[in-house]
Amino acid sequence: MDPHTVVVIGAGPAGLTAAYELAKLQRRAIVLEKQDRVGGLARTENYKGFCFDIGGHRFFTKVEEVNQMWRALLGQDFLRRPRLSRIYYNRRFFYYPLRPLNAVIGLGLLRSLLIVLSYVRWQLFPHRREETFEQWVTNRFGKRLFQTFFKTYTEKVWGISCSDLRAEWAAQRIRGLSLKTALLSMFLKPKQTIKTLIEEFHYPRLGPGMMWRAVKDEIERRDCAVRLNCEVAAIRRNGNRIESVVVSNNGHDEIVQGSAFISSMPLGEFLKKLDPPPPPRVIEAAKQLRYRDLIVVCLIVKKPNLFPDNWIYVHDPEVRVGRIQNYKNWSPDMVPDPAKTSLGLEYFCTQGDDLWNTPDADFVELGKREIGRIGVADATDIEDGCVVRVPNAYPVYDTDYRRHLATVREFVDGLENFQTVGRNGLHRYNNQDHAMLTGMLAVRNLVLGEHNDLWSVNTEPDYHEEALVEESAIEEALARVFTKLDRLAFGLSLGAVSGALLFVATLWLVLKGGEVVGPNLRLLNQYFPGYSVSLWGSVIGLVYGFLSGFIGGWLFAFLRNATMFLYMVRAERKAQRGLLRRIFDYL
Amino acid sequence: MADEDKRLEQIILTRLVRLNAKIQGLVTGLAAGLLIFIATNWLVLKGGRQVGPHLSLLGQFFVGYRVTFLGSLIGFAYAFVCGFIVGYSVAWMYNWIADLKEVKN
Ligand SMILES: Cc1cc2nc3c(=O)[nH]c(=O)nc-3n(C[C@H](O)[C@H](O)[C@H](O)COP(=O)(O)OP(=O)(O)OC[C@H]3O[C@@H](n4cnc5c(N)ncnc54)[C@H](O)[C@@H]3O)c2cc1C
Repeated sequence: MDPHTVVVIGAGPAGLTAAYELAKLQRRAIVLEKQDRVGGLARTENYKGFCFDIGGHRFFTKVEEVNQMWRALLGQDFLRRPRLSRIYYNRRFFYYPLRPLNAVIGLGLLRSLLIVLSYVRWQLFPHRREETFEQWVTNRFGKRLFQTFFKTYTEKVWGISCSDLRAEWAAQRIRGLSLKTALLSMFLKPKQTIKTLIEEFHYPRLGPGMMWRAVKDEIERRDCAVRLNCEVAAIRRNGNRIESVVVSNNGHDEIVQGSAFISSMPLGEFLKKLDPPPPPRVIEAAKQLRYRDLIVVCLIVKKPNLFPDNWIYVHDPEVRVGRIQNYKNWSPDMVPDPAKTSLGLEYFCTQGDDLWNTPDADFVELGKREIGRIGVADATDIEDGCVVRVPNAYPVYDTDYRRHLATVREFVDGLENFQTVGRNGLHRYNNQDHAMLTGMLAVRNLVLGEHNDLWSVNTEPDYHEEALVEESAIEEALARVFTKLDRLAFGLSLGAVSGALLFVATLWLVLKGGEVVGPNLRLLNQYFPGYSVSLWGSVIGLVYGFLSGFIGGWLFAFLRNATMFLYMVRAERKAQRGLLRRIFDYL
Repeated sequence: MADEDKRLEQIILTRLVRLNAKIQGLVTGLAAGLLIFIATNWLVLKGGRQVGPHLSLLGQFFVGYRVTFLGSLIGFAYAFVCGFIVGYSVAWMYNWIADLKEVKN
């Protein structure tokens, strides 16, 4: 084995992208993947010729390098697909993102009215402190809308009550919302481009796995290796340098050496496998990084068409399924027989809980029952099914995760020839594109000596809004419009000009002279006691003019700034609500 | 992105707006000019025995101004010039003080 090889752990989007970049730079790379296929969470499972995605992977990104890579790799097979998704609640379907008229029709007039009243009530008397997700959403939408459209689904995904889920979670989900976007949204109507982004997405013809198989082929074509069924069982280090990994392959252990290492496995697992182990406090912190897991029940239905949606969010508390994917609507080629349809029922769970422990056969039965109950297919039409268990699907952002992550990060950053990447490697809610970006940046750090901070590669839930923004020029303009008018400066300048004006006007009349000097201007002394149209009066006028101008200018600036501030708060809130309406898209 | 946002937030919260003196002068001048023009012609059109006894007092300052159509044009010119001077001076002085304050900070 060439000791200059870069060893990449995990053949998910992050690991494969890193290897692809290394291969392009003509570096030796070897990818070690424990599963029998590439793609990680974005793999495509195959059951009797039917392709099943883990959930549903929409391909959309703002990262141009990623976009180019996707297009170059798949060409015509990178399909552009229309999006339709609805919420199932109370035995009815609602468009998602919500459409007001459709929601009113679905909920009925009385309920809709109550929702509006509840919204008004919570706008007038909000929770003083926004500590929980429930309080956070209620303050923005009202309690009834929260209970109708946010509560049950969120609780299914996280397995805890919304009154226990920290508000920070929601705030973080939409933290990518920039002030700029919020302000812009007050001026601009959404453009067609944004609409398209929301209503369409890209998808490989045979599911996301097709993309990752193409990357694997490309890596191998450039003389690098992707080895499947190779689980990294231990990672050996000497001080701050990693020297090799021990790979377990069908019961055989093998040592793989390298000059540098990139890992996309979950952080906690990585630290557990380090030899010698890190300090106990780091291990302890890593143990506190938690995940939510997922089970996908794949069902094959003897019907050519079931429903038009790509997926349905199931808010209804009567069933445990959280989301239903209709793969044929993602790409017709996901199904080998056009007379049939394949569904993916997503159950959010935690390893060891009752759902996780349910045997596969029982799970398929549960899936059939729930599908029948919802009414999208007849249980008798379901001819076959299988179960895919997905551990560590969602990194959990609980109250203390930041603190624990900081401890872990401090240790990991100290490893010289190592980069941790991807979704679970950074314990970050990254989509494929950001996972890929961390892979790209890791290679630049290791090979080109750059210092990119992978931890700051963010999930950005506001892709759609951001499409509005033509960056710096708009930012500049916004900064100009919204910066403060200085009260003192405006008061002083208006005061000085008003004083001077009154001084000159009075003096002018005095110099003009006449029988009665300035009988009308003199009336000003009704407001300015002591003022007269005389030489001395012009000086008094100067003082009065200055004072009144100053007060007027100061007040104007104060009110203008206050109004601007309220306007900005309103703009931000409105944009927050807009994003929150689509919060489930980011799960 | 987050950095970008912080930058914008910081600019908005800490920086002071600057006024364009020429534009401020033009706008104030035009507004004042139009006000006099319309007010004068309104009184002219209304007519009556004594047309605009109070507005005509402006003639004290604007030599040659009267409440007639021609007067409205003269008034417009005077008011425009005065308005321009006022608007320009306020903006210029405001910018000067704002500069001083920002340099100090
Ligand atoms: C339900 C769901 C829906 C999603 N929807 C979207 C979407 O619509 N759009 C989108 O862009 N993204 C979506 N994502 C996110 C996307 O799947 C991830 O961002 C992406 O897969 C992360 O890539 P990764 O390489 O960081 O990690 P992973 O995909 O988790 O890959 C890590 C790899 O490391 C391997 N590994 C772990 N331990 C070892 C070991 N000890 N030895 C060897 N190999 C090991 C794993 O087997 C895995 O293959 C979704 C995710 C989920 C769960």
